[in-house]
Amino acid sequence: MTDDISIDAVSQNHMRPARTVTLQALRSGLWLPVGVVVALCAFFAIATPSFLTLRNASGILGQASTLLLACLGASFVVLMGSIDLSVGAMVLLTGAVTVTALNAGGIGVLALPLAVMFGTGLGLANGAIFAFGRMPSFVVTLGTLSFFTGAGWQLLEGRALRFDSTAFENLAIGQLVPYVPNIALFALVAWAAMALVGFRTRFGRYMYIIGGGEAVARTAGMPVRRYQIYAFALSGTMAGFAGALAAARLGAAGPTLGQDLLLNSLAAIVVGGTSLSGGVGGVHRTLIGVLIIALLDNGLNLMGVNQYTQMMVKGAVVVAAVLVSQTRTRQLVIK
Amino acid sequence: MVPDRAKLVARGITKRFEAATAVDRVDLEIGAGQIVGLIGENGAGKSTLLNIFSGIVAPDAGTMELDGRPFQPGGFGAAGARGIARVFQEQALIPNLRVYENLLLSHEARFTRFGQIMQRRAMVDLAQALADEGGIGVDVTRATSSLSFSKRQLVEIARACLVPSRVLGIERPIILLDEPTASLDKADEAVFFTLVTRMRNVASFLFVSHRLTEVLRASDFVYVLKDGRVVAKLNAGDADERQLHGLMVGRERDADYYHESEQTTVGRSVVLEARGLRRSGAYSDVELAVQAGEILGIGGLLDSGKSELGKGLLGVEPPDDGEVRIGPGEWQRPDIGRALVEGIGYVPSERLAEGIIPDFPVSWNMSLASGQDLFASAWGLWRSAHETEVAKGMISDLDIRGARPNVSCQKLSGGNQQKVVLARWLCRSVRLLVLDNPTRGVDAGAKEEIYGILRRLTAAGVGIILITDELLELIGLSNRILIMRHGRVTGIVDAPPDAKPTEVELIRLMLGSSGQPDRVLAA
Repeated sequence: MTDDISIDAVSQNHMRPARTVTLQALRSGLWLPVGVVVALCAFFAIATPSFLTLRNASGILGQASTLLLACLGASFVVLMGSIDLSVGAMVLLTGAVTVTALNAGGIGVLALPLAVMFGTGLGLANGAIFAFGRMPSFVVTLGTLSFFTGAGWQLLEGRALRFDSTAFENLAIGQLVPYVPNIALFALVAWAAMALVGFRTRFGRYMYIIGGGEAVARTAGMPVRRYQIYAFALSGTMAGFAGALAAARLGAAGPTLGQDLLLNSLAAIVVGGTSLSGGVGGVHRTLIGVLIIALLDNGLNLMGVNQYTQMMVKGAVVVAAVLVSQTRTRQLVIK
Repeated sequence: MVPDRAKLVARGITKRFEAATAVDRVDLEIGAGQIVGLIGENGAGKSTLLNIFSGIVAPDAGTMELDGRPFQPGGFGAAGARGIARVFQEQALIPNLRVYENLLLSHEARFTRFGQIMQRRAMVDLAQALADEGGIGVDVTRATSSLSFSKRQLVEIARACLVPSRVLGIERPIILLDEPTASLDKADEAVFFTLVTRMRNVASFLFVSHRLTEVLRASDFVYVLKDGRVVAKLNAGDADERQLHGLMVGRERDADYYHESEQTTVGRSVVLEARGLRRSGAYSDVELAVQAGEILGIGGLLDSGKSELGKGLLGVEPPDDGEVRIGPGEWQRPDIGRALVEGIGYVPSERLAEGIIPDFPVSWNMSLASGQDLFASAWGLWRSAHETEVAKGMISDLDIRGARPNVSCQKLSGGNQQKVVLARWLCRSVRLLVLDNPTRGVDAGAKEEIYGILRRLTAAGVGIILITDELLELIGLSNRILIMRHGRVTGIVDAPPDAKPTEVELIRLMLGSSGQPDRVLAA
């Protein structure tokens, strides 16, 4: 009986071999988030006249870019079944360090690779504590969230620190392409690169395997711990990238830098369709999640909805997204 | 033991799932006080039939009568109310409750005053009476988690048999037993059968098992299911195992089942040696050596530590002390990373938890031990095309039915899933495989295919450590058999094709010289 069923299911659902698995996974279950993006655009376009303007589109790109950069790495962490709560704190701390370094010596554009390296170091610390301390990632990154935030505020002495480097500023707000701030180019290139990493590399495959069946990975001799550390390090790398460019975009690093990222990064990852239980979804989907969150932020602002209501709406969206994705996995299992 | 009337009568029961017919016009009768065996390959429709009887699934066609009245249960609870109880393969007791609370689970309302206040004393007394009647010999106020696995199994059976009659007032319930002995060792099995035999005064049984010897010994009648149909109803006394094998798979089981003629003669070179292996609470003083092309069987009761030893040899769960030497190499602590590089593979017994990732495609499951070398370039790029090619080759080579590289593993039968796990190691050049119960939950046909694969491997010089609970498999496949008891090696038995040891010889070594276990760890 089992054989008959599976053969039938094969001929119906899986006519194409090989790589289409990932392509199918990409397509299936994506229509809903994409539909939400389109619906949000339509709704805000009708609700407020200032939404559908080039100027606003450019603004959304700028806002969304920091978020996208910050949660690309964290998406891998979630994909492998862990969580990184410290993304916002790493953005704050690297932002503060970057601006301090810029002011200390005229390093200009070189501040960017420095920030990326510094962020990687923070991520490595997360990963090492997680893997060698054998602690839940939730606890580890909750701790470092507080630690990094405190360190960042210490460095800023509680106030916004400005810098004076046009070259560095232009990394984010310059426009190689009209109306598209450079930070958006960075973010899109990073997104494409990370999506490729997810689909086409050993690292990407291991993230799915560890998220889907860590015990299986271990009995098969996979270097699970090493790759878990890599994932946290990558999360730090991308947070460092985001921190530097966010500071460049704002012209300063202030105490509120990265503050909204704790909720927004996880919201974007989950709304995009990467399951918190691991093994399901993918980094490519985070782009959609980021768009949904950024559109909500921007549109509700333009409509004059107050900040508190905005928070309520966002919270509801996250819960709804998880609800929807859960019923889908359940159906899959039953099928 | 001929019943005066049939207790449960099913006529023309049919159930289709999409295109496949799981159960096809099945006629089945269970008489009062009877023990009826139900056997068949995985996927023959046994579970579906049990699901229909216990109200979990509604049949598409056919009628059922219980005690002469129509029986159309709307759900598991409704079937229970009519006196059909089921003991699942996985235990359904709640470990943090007391035994009496588990025995009377879901009947608490009968023991309350003013709706909520529990009459503990009355519950304990009744539960103790039930336990004593069942002969379980357990204090019902103990925590369920403190009982051994087999005791818990007995509690479940007692609950299923006695609660309907003593609490619900149903005479002679029907108990559906789904592989009740799959995880019991020989000693516990005996207790189990004593209980079932005693219970036939108060209940009837439908008994599903892969262990045909047991079915024949315990049952009055045996129904053989094949592809959803009843192909035979036999008097258990008239049937033998060979005949049942033949009926189940449609071919006579011959002496080649274990491919004994293909057994290699060994003595070429050692692939793995171990000395002084110890893990507290599991095994100690273990020394062994496996030759190239040899199957070294490891047998023992459930608490013998043989599974833990398997994990220790590879370093999946490293031992506290001891070293292994791979080939002519250095003595070192077992380490899973090095084991992989040196060409050692592991097939765990818990297939769904540790063997495969059911949601993921066949090709992903096959390649996951080889991401460090075969399927990724020096730059860490994944070689998807190569992965698909290898998977295709493995699927046709091992005849993994229903599989394609991109089909998720959950759509395969247990035997074909197990072949996927084997393929994970066969696609690399392994020199030693450690297998822990490689044919557990695998149907008779697929078992033989797996045995064939193992023989092919040994012919190519691969060494195999075979840890198994199935005595015949242990005897039929192994060149030498290592017997463990309470974590120690108690004997090594040669098993050349022309002079295989008997089950009795091995059982004696497993149980100890007195024929009794000298210590029961789990209790």
